[in-house]
Amino acid sequence: MVVLSASLWLRSRLTDRFWRVQEVLKHARHFRGRKNRCYKLAVRSVQRAFVKSTKARREKKRFLRALWITRIEAASLEHGLKYPAFISNLIKSQVELNRKMIADLAIYEPKTFKSLAALAQRRRQEGFLAALGDGKEPEGIFSRIVHHY
Amino acid sequence: VAKTSLTSPPWPDVKLPDPVEEAKYHAEVVQKVNKMIATGQYGRLFAVVHFASKQWKITGEDLIMMDNVLEAECGDRIRMEKVLLVGADDFTLIGRPLLGKDLVRVEATVIEKTESWPKINMRFWKRHNYQRKKIIVNPQTILRINTIEIFPCLS
Repeated sequence: MVVLSASLWLRSRLTDRFWRVQEVLKHARHFRGRKNRCYKLAVRSVQRAFVKSTKARREKKRFLRALWITRIEAASLEHGLKYPAFISNLIKSQVELNRKMIADLAIYEPKTFKSLAALAQRRRQEGFLAALGDGKEPEGIFSRIVHHY
Repeated sequence: VAKTSLTSPPWPDVKLPDPVEEAKYHAEVVQKVNKMIATGQYGRLFAVVHFASKQWKITGEDLIMMDNVLEAECGDRIRMEKVLLVGADDFTLIGRPLLGKDLVRVEATVIEKTESWPKINMRFWKRHNYQRKKIIVNPQTILRINTIEIFPCLS
């Protein structure tokens, strides 16, 4: 016989409360204090932890790039070049290594980094010479001698 | 004429070496490196490869994990073509920006195709009863770099 709605004395009670609570507490087991044991405190901490980790994943990229730049700056100063000169001259010489690679090369392959620094230095000097031109002084205007013929 | 503070410019005067002599020196160095490669006087080679929109510094027998799907079955051999830099102990070949395909050969094999650990993306605004939780599982591919070979065709 088909019954459309349940009777009033039929109650449905939550049976897996333990496992629902454990799902949250398992992410809080390494926390400090009562928030690794008590559900009410743990829920808040776990939520904040998840939100912080989401935001940190975006900031990690910025942070790592700054770290690589610091390392490249330190390594290029050892070879007598500043970071903007080094990077700009490398890019002008069509070397498309990114900062992560250059930082790794500076740590693990010092000879290769030295050759990259020499390349950048040479390109820099060629750039200066190309910009300076002949080396003659520009002719003056008031010191020009006018000939009236 | 006496030298004052304005006779010469304040930047150091740099003279580039003679172009003819430089060309000779360059040709000599290139021949030397060619001979070294031909006779095989290098130890372990490392290469910088552009793969899966990232740059990797690889040697032989090392593992690489990509955070995406590669359309190759497990056990397929792959040749990586975009090589930016190859180096050994005594010489490095820097590509501007890439090295030629007839100069370097990087071989890799696909070992494993798995999924990453479940990363949790959560957004929460306080006092607004707003929270969204999403579990992201990325497919990953693991490659093993078999060999890096160089051929003596420098000019």
